[in-house]
Amino acid sequence: MLALRDIRRRFGSTIAVDGLSLEVRTGEVFGLLGPNGAGKSTTIAIATGLLAPDAGSVDLLGLGSPSNPKVRMHLGLAPQEITLYAELTARENLRFFADLYGVSNARVRVDELLALVELDARANDRVATFSGGMKRRLNLAAALVHDPKLVLLDEPTAGVDPQSRNRILELVRRLAGEGKTVLYTTHYMEEAAKICDRVGIVDHGRMLDVGTVAELVARHGGQSAVTIERDGAEERIFTADPVAEVARQFARANSDRERGEVGREVTGLRIERPDLETVFLSLTGRSLRE
Amino acid sequence: MRAIFAIARKDLRLLLRDKGDVFFTFVFPVVIAILFGFVFGGGSNSGSKLELAVVRESESVLALGIEEDLANDAAFETTAFPTRDAAADAVRAGKVTAAVILPKSLDSGLEGLFSGQGIAIDAVVDPSRRAEAGLIQGKLNELAFRQFPKLFANPTEMSRAFSAARSSIASARGMSPTQKLLGAGMITAAESFTSSIGDEDASANASGGGGGANNAAGNTADFTPIRVKVEELAPRAGRPRASFDVTFPQGIVWGLAGCFGAFASSLVTERARGTLDRLRLAPITAFHLISGKAIACLVAGLLVQTLVFAVAIIFFGSSVAQPAMLVIAAFAASFAFAGLAMALAAFCRTEAEANGAGRGAILILALIGGGTIPLFFMPPFLRTLSYGSPFRWAVAAIEGPFWRDTSVGEQIVPLIVLFAIGFLGWIIGARALWRPFAR
Ligand SMILES: Nc1ncnc2c1ncn2[C@@H]1O[C@H](COP(=O)(O)OP(=O)(O)O)[C@@H](O)[C@H]1O
Ligand SMILES: [Mg+2]
Repeated sequence: MLALRDIRRRFGSTIAVDGLSLEVRTGEVFGLLGPNGAGKSTTIAIATGLLAPDAGSVDLLGLGSPSNPKVRMHLGLAPQEITLYAELTARENLRFFADLYGVSNARVRVDELLALVELDARANDRVATFSGGMKRRLNLAAALVHDPKLVLLDEPTAGVDPQSRNRILELVRRLAGEGKTVLYTTHYMEEAAKICDRVGIVDHGRMLDVGTVAELVARHGGQSAVTIERDGAEERIFTADPVAEVARQFARANSDRERGEVGREVTGLRIERPDLETVFLSLTGRSLRE
Repeated sequence: MRAIFAIARKDLRLLLRDKGDVFFTFVFPVVIAILFGFVFGGGSNSGSKLELAVVRESESVLALGIEEDLANDAAFETTAFPTRDAAADAVRAGKVTAAVILPKSLDSGLEGLFSGQGIAIDAVVDPSRRAEAGLIQGKLNELAFRQFPKLFANPTEMSRAFSAARSSIASARGMSPTQKLLGAGMITAAESFTSSIGDEDASANASGGGGGANNAAGNTADFTPIRVKVEELAPRAGRPRASFDVTFPQGIVWGLAGCFGAFASSLVTERARGTLDRLRLAPITAFHLISGKAIACLVAGLLVQTLVFAVAIIFFGSSVAQPAMLVIAAFAASFAFAGLAMALAAFCRTEAEANGAGRGAILILALIGGGTIPLFFMPPFLRTLSYGSPFRWAVAAIEGPFWRDTSVGEQIVPLIVLFAIGFLGWIIGARALWRPFAR
């Protein structure tokens, strides 16, 4: 669907994207996970043709670069900033973008989208009066007016409350269910883990690894940690198979009891499986959360 | 086409929804035009006195009395003019507010009054000075009435009046012989009474005497002792008929400045907030975007100008010398300011810049371009400076067909300058706005 090959881009002395390649497959939700300043937005801008890379190539649907308007028609972008007209209503905003794209039956399409992002009740209110979550949803809807095959969502949950965040995540899954391909950037690993079919980890403009969450964890997560608590004393054991380790520990405790050795009872037990956070930590030596 | 209109509609909506923009585009210019109109209008007259041209065609006591009282009245500054035409010219030229004509018919003095025709005084005013016309009319009525006591106290005038009244009673057709006799008796009584009193009480008798004659003449219903006929001059182009002619084009300039500031800052906002990127992603070209914005700018500019001209014509009696040329000038001015908006947006990177430095620049250009001080009041160096301001050219383009009634040849220069400013602005702005897409 979308292929970036060896993209480079610098701003003055800042290298924003440093030889990044990625391929988004048709029908998947691809997550670009990385901390602020990793180069996600720059990558998105290059992927849409808004920004020229210093080097590298972009191809959309095998049609070539999206700098060509005919190619660009197939993508929809919801930028990281709320790029709406605050003094226009939700409906007027969507209608304006629909008119720009020459959408046929614009009125019906706009109503559909308002319903999709659950803003039909506020359709005739100015965007300036909306909450952060509502603005985000409308920002997303505006990317969909022309029914694009590829939807690029740049941090679509930035600055919204948890409830709105869940609504947006559901919405993204729904788009995927309707056959859209989604490129999704975020610096929240929980989001990436929850909705992305595949995740690419970026830092300092480089793609560190790509795969499903399970694959990434298997490759970089290392061992799980099993923490066993006995009489207030904790013991941490690293293992590839935490369930087997727990079973082993219980078996040992049982045999101890049978042998009449008391005072060594297990009073607590915790399993920590590696996650994307651990993956990021092991890839960069830094925490994603800062 | 649909995209172009969508952009135009969007930009107009944004303009009309911003209270500040609406104020500075539509309300402020009208307020400025009216305010400056009064300021400059008052300034050209000495103090707050109304300047009157007085033409006295009659040598009568009545005419002399009115002339003297006008001259002594604190509200007026009078100048004697030999003929009606000379006085009318002075009104047209704006040298005086109105002309008062004390016609030959005043020779008949009180006879006219008692024979039921009343006293006629003419006033000539400029159509743009209707407010002052009312004041002058009232004042003339008052002054004419004030003459009555003097006339009643004047024996020759009185005997002339009484004999006129007697003869009018004698010839009156609707009266019975008894009524005629009664009327004649009343006149005789009044005659002996007025000749026995002094100046002090004369005014009390004035209305009584007038009333008696009035009844005697038998046409109570529509008798008005003094008729002040106010005539409005047919507007003649070529000179500002009033200070408003000068200040309304100034108002337009402020309106265009307001609307151009609004468009520039909305454009900067679009760029700074990334909305422009959304437009660039849509299957439209720079041509679509710029055409859409051009239409919005033009429509807004024409709206402002229509509004200001409408106020000028309806409330201030202005008239347009060359309507077709004025429409062209309005287009040219709107186009130039639309281009300026684009160029300004190109230079301002942030919204703060557009609203601070950008609007400041507009203010300075407006000031040196005749936005506040009319060009012909400017000291020479400022007038030379004004050539650098697009506002000056807009004022020149608009004034020509509005009241100067200049030849097409003279109007062509400001029009060319305005179109050139517009094109240049569009090109600069469009290039800065529409970065080419990545290859
Ligand atoms: N227009 C720009 N001018 C200068 N530096 C920029 C610009 N855009 C991005 N950068 C820099 O490039 C780096 C990557 O930024 P960005 O792509 O926005 O990261 P992310 O979206 O992952 O937070 C950052 O260091 C940022 O400061
Ligand atoms: Mg970003």
